[in-house]
Amino acid sequence: MAAVALVFREHLRNLYLIRRLSWFELKAETRKHYLGFFWEIFNPAVQICIYWFVFGVGIRASRTVEHVPYVLWISAGMVVWFFVNQAVLAASRSVFSRIRIVAKMNFPASIIPSYVIISKWYPHLVLTVLLLLWFSLRGYMPSLYLLQLPYFMFCLLLLLVAVSLITSTLSTVVRDVHMAVASLMRVLMYLTPVLWSPKGLGWLELAMKANPLYYVVEGYRAALFGDGWYFLQHARYTLYFWVVVAVLFLIGAVLHGKFRADLVDYA
Amino acid sequence: MVKSVIAQHVTKVYRMYQSTSQRLLDLLLPLRTGEEFYALRDVSFEADKGDVIGIVGLNGSGKSTLCNIIAGVIQPTAGEIHVDGQTSLVAIQAGLSTELTGRENIEQKCLMLGFSKKEIRELESEIVEFADIGPFIDQPVKNYSSGMRSRLGFAISVCVDPDVLVVDEALSVGDAVFSAKCMDKMNDFKRRGKTIFFISHSMAQVKSFCEKALWLDRGVVRAYGDVASVVPEYERFVKQNRASAP
Repeated sequence: MAAVALVFREHLRNLYLIRRLSWFELKAETRKHYLGFFWEIFNPAVQICIYWFVFGVGIRASRTVEHVPYVLWISAGMVVWFFVNQAVLAASRSVFSRIRIVAKMNFPASIIPSYVIISKWYPHLVLTVLLLLWFSLRGYMPSLYLLQLPYFMFCLLLLLVAVSLITSTLSTVVRDVHMAVASLMRVLMYLTPVLWSPKGLGWLELAMKANPLYYVVEGYRAALFGDGWYFLQHARYTLYFWVVVAVLFLIGAVLHGKFRADLVDYA
Repeated sequence: MVKSVIAQHVTKVYRMYQSTSQRLLDLLLPLRTGEEFYALRDVSFEADKGDVIGIVGLNGSGKSTLCNIIAGVIQPTAGEIHVDGQTSLVAIQAGLSTELTGRENIEQKCLMLGFSKKEIRELESEIVEFADIGPFIDQPVKNYSSGMRSRLGFAISVCVDPDVLVVDEALSVGDAVFSAKCMDKMNDFKRRGKTIFFISHSMAQVKSFCEKALWLDRGVVRAYGDVASVVPEYERFVKQNRASAP
C-alpha cells in the first residue's frame, strides 16, 4: 500500500515536471527528422489506407460495420491503436534507457513511463482532431455524445500508465520482457476490435471483452459516431474496466517499489 | 567540525555470471549462484564541511562506484552513507539529451534536479555564461565537441549550487582555459565550506587542489589522510606496479 501511495504522490506533486519532460521528449523525437511532426500524422494515415484497402475493399468488399462505412470504422479504432502501440513500446523501454540520466535519489522514478506516455499523447490528440474533421466531412457531425471522448481518453491514459509501471520495471530487470511486450502488441492488435468486429460471435466476443482496450475502443467509437453513452449503457463493463485498471496499477506499484532502489544496477 | 559525508562499512557487490541462463535463475530463485565481485569492500570514512578530497587508485579500483554512491545514483549493497545536503555529480557522460539544444538541456536537467520554473529562469543565464560556448548553446548537443559537452555538463552541475560536489574525471577533456575557470569555481566552493570529491589520474592536479586523499585499491581503502602523506605513497605503489609489469 505504501508503494501505491508513493506512486500517487510522485505523480500529483510533479505535474509540471511531467508536462515539461514530456514536451522535451516529443521535441527530441521529432527533431530527428526534417519533417518532424509530419511523420507522426503521415505514418498512421498510410497504415489506415493499407488496412482499409486489404480488409475493407478486398476481404469485406466495402460493407459497413454497425451502419458505419468500414474505412471510418477502422480509422476510429486505429487512432486508438497507434497511440497504444507507440506508448506501450516507448514506455516499456523508458526506464532502462533513461535511468542512468535521471538516477538521483530525489528524482521521482515512477513518473518516467508516465511522461513518455504523455509525449506520445500529443500526436494522438492532433490525430483525433483531424479524424473529427474528416468524419464531419463524411457526414458524421460532432454530437453531444462527443463529450464522453475526454472520459475515454482519460481511461486510456490511466490504463497505459498502470500497464507501463509493470512493463517498464520488468523490462529493466530482464531486458527480454521488452521483446515479449513487442510480440504481444502485434497479437493484441487482432484481439482488439480495431480491424474487425466480434459482435454476435457469442463466447468469442465475451472473451475479447476481457481485454480492457475493448472498452476504450468501443467508447471512442460511441463518442465519434454519436451512438449512445457507452459507459452508462454498459455500466457493468465500466465497473469491470476500473477494477482491471486498479489491479494492474496495484501490481505495477508493488513491482516498482520492490525494484526501485536497484533499477540502476540492472540498466 | 561538522561532518558532511559519513560512510560506514559501505560495500557494493556485483554478481558475475557464466551465462545468461544462470543470471535468470539467480533472479527467479532465492539462492544466489553467481560469483561475487566486490566493487567496494567495507569502505568507511568521514568528510568535514569544506574538505576537498582527491580519490585516487588504479582503473577498476572502485572510484566511480564510490562517487555514484556518494551522489546517490546507486545504492550500496551493505553499509550506510549519510550525505548532508544536495549532491551534484559531474561526469564526462553528464546525462545530456543529444537531440535537444544546450538551453533545453539546461532546463531539463534543472527540472530533474527539482528546481522550480522561476529558479530555473534565474539559473539559466548563469549557466550559459559559465559554459561560454557561444551560439552553440542553441544547437542540438549532438553537434557539440566533447569539450563543449563537458563544459555544459560542468556548468550545470556547479551552478545549481550543491552542498557536495563530486567531480569524476570531468576536467580531463576541457582546455587549459576552461580548466582554470573550473578550478576557480571549485576554489570558490572550497572557501564557502562545501565538500568536494575529486577523481583524477593527474597527481599534479590532486596535489595542487586537494587537501585530503582517499586511496582505493581493488575496492578497499588503502589509505586516507593528508595529500602530502597519501599521494607519495600511492605514487610509489604505481611505480612498483610498473616495475613488476612485464
